[in-house]
This record gives sequence, C-alpha cells and structure tokens, in this order.
Amino acid sequence: MATMIKKRNLILIAFVVIAIAAAAIYFLFATPKKTIDVSKGHISKIETMAQLCAVEIYSEVPVLDTINDKVMFAVQKQKGSVSFDLEKMKVDADGDTVTVTLPQEIVELYEATEDNSWEVIDTKAIGSMAMFRSDKFTDEEENMLKAHIKENSRRLLYRNGTIQRARAEGARMLQPLMEKVYRKPVKVIDPTPKGIYY
Amino acid sequence: MKMMKKLLLGALGLLFLGSCADTDRADHTELYQEIKSADKMVFASMAITKTAKMESSEWYKIGKRIAVYSYDSYMRAYVDLSELQMEDIVFDEKAKTVKVTLPPVKTEIAGRDMQMRKEYENIGLLRSDLDSKERAEMKEKANASFKKEVEENPMFRRQLTDAAKRKARLYFETLFEANGYTASIDFKPSKYGNND
Repeated sequence: MATMIKKRNLILIAFVVIAIAAAAIYFLFATPKKTIDVSKGHISKIETMAQLCAVEIYSEVPVLDTINDKVMFAVQKQKGSVSFDLEKMKVDADGDTVTVTLPQEIVELYEATEDNSWEVIDTKAIGSMAMFRSDKFTDEEENMLKAHIKENSRRLLYRNGTIQRARAEGARMLQPLMEKVYRKPVKVIDPTPKGIYY
Repeated sequence: MKMMKKLLLGALGLLFLGSCADTDRADHTELYQEIKSADKMVFASMAITKTAKMESSEWYKIGKRIAVYSYDSYMRAYVDLSELQMEDIVFDEKAKTVKVTLPPVKTEIAGRDMQMRKEYENIGLLRSDLDSKERAEMKEKANASFKKEVEENPMFRRQLTDAAKRKARLYFETLFEANGYTASIDFKPSKYGNND
C-alpha cells in the first residue's frame, strides 16, 4: 500500500514538473499577439511650385552605421530627383539672344515606396560590456542614422557626377522651352556646373 | 589566486576583442543606382500622413506595449515637357495674345520620409522596447495601405492635379506677360480621361 502511494506521488510530481516546464517553455518562446492598425491617410500639405525636374534617381544603399555603440546593418531603397526652381531663374531678354541663368539645384531624396524599401538585417551592441547592453535602436537613434544616410547619399550625388549631369540636362531642357516662349535664340548659362555645394 | 587572475584577464581580453568588432562608420557604397533624364515640369506636391499603431499583448504578459508612429509620403503633379510641341503655342501678334495647350497633368508617388515620428508610446516596465525591425514592419504596413488608398481614392490625385493646373496657368501667364503677351493656358486631355 505504501509503495503504491509512493508511486502515485512520484507520478504526480513528475506530471507537475513536466507541466511547469512546458508552461515555462511556452511563456519564454511564444510570440505575443501583435496587431498593427493603420489609420486612413490625410493630406497634411499641398505646395505649388514651378520646378524643372531634370534627373530622377533610384538606388539601393547598404547601410552600416554606428550610433551610441550600436551597429545597424540595413538595406534602403531610395528615390530622388534633381530639379530647378524656374521662378528663381534669371532671364535677360533685352538683346537678340535671351540669356537664362540656371538656378541652384534642388536635390530631393526619399525612401522609396516599393515593398521592403527599409529592411533592417541586423543590429548589435559594441564596445565595453557590449554583451550586457541592449542592441535595440531607440527611435531617436534610428532617425539619427537615417539622417546620416540621407546626407551621405546627397554627398555621393555630388561626388559621382550626378549633379553635374543633372545641371547639364537642365540646361539642355530649358533651352527649347525658353525658345518656344521668347521665339529668339536662347543661351543658358550655368554658373556652377558641378553644383552649388561642390 | 593565480588561476582567478588568469580567468579575469581572459574575460577582459574577450570583452576587448568584442569591442573591436569590424564596424565602419556610415559605409556608403551602392548596391544599385539608376539615373534617368526626366524632362518634367512639377507644379504641385502633396504630403500625405499615415499613422500606424502597434499593440502586442498576451494574457501572461504584465504591462502594456503600445506604440504609435507616423510619417509622410509625397505625391507630385507634373507635365511632361517632352510632349510639348511647337504647334501647342500659338501667337496672335495683332492681339498680342498667345494660346498655350500644355500636355496633360500627371501624378506620381515621389517617395516617403526616411524618418518616423513617435506620436505615442506606452511600454510597461516588464515589456521590451520596440526594435528597428518592428518599426520597419509598421512602416511597411502603412506603406501598403497608402498605395492602396492612392489607387482607390481619386480625391488625392484630383486635389493635386487641380492645384498643379492652377499653378501652371499662373506660371505661364506670368512668363508670357513679361514678354508682352496675354496668355490663355489649356491642357490636353489625359489618355485616361481624368488628366491623371
């Protein structure tokens, strides 16, 4: 009788231990229910302008950057354009030839809207005691990193000659347009062929 | 004691090696780049704000985990200047007027903000902070919803196109006025019937 009670107790203990272990494993590894709700889009700004868009850019950029001893590796798809504000363009139409001065370029860079245009591959903490620190970027750190990306991409456009090409394209496009308007030969002058920040 | 010292030095060495991981600051090469000529005259742009709320909860987790982020996407309206022909600009020397028929106004998505704005966050003490992958997931969902909305709701395109037409008229009227002509500006009909 005593042996039977002992056996029953052992089975009970084993059952409780297994149940606790199973619950612990479930709580540790089960993914919490996550919901993402997106509100309807609303127009926050409408701007009017008269800009000549000379060049459009599409690129995929690998990002490896460090902010506050945290490293991120990601891939970003970017869309952008180089334009010229035609309302700031200087026109001298007094002589037989109309002289047009190409204004400074407007470089716009955005994240693309294709699927997975911002893909975070990995993050890690570095430096002293890295293994005891979180590798999670706060929203401020992530925004700092994205500001770096934008600035680096902008600089690259000047360095790799894209801006120079855009200015040349802009001048080439302006000439026939202005000739249609003024019905005189038009000469486009570019005071900064490599761009204003070169 | 000597053994303890050795172990401590070993651990410090490992930590030091970990801190010297290969992390270049802002490496910026490109996987792919495409540059193309555009010849577009942009007359209006529109910012559309999308807000995404993420909530993760489970009965056994203590504390809330809610985050709300927003960002802007941009659309623009333009005319394709390569479609503008000589016969689209007709001068009347006697009346000093000019009739301009511009190509149809088209719209397109220009892109979205790289950064996101944190509107609200409530992360309980025992809950983990949001990570970059989760924020990217929120943006991805919001982006899919934005593209669907733009496709299904003509209001965005209509408002943008109207603003662009007003600006185009004003711009060309001023341009020709400076040249001594009174201009009347019109637009060619769009192939899709709505000038989009």
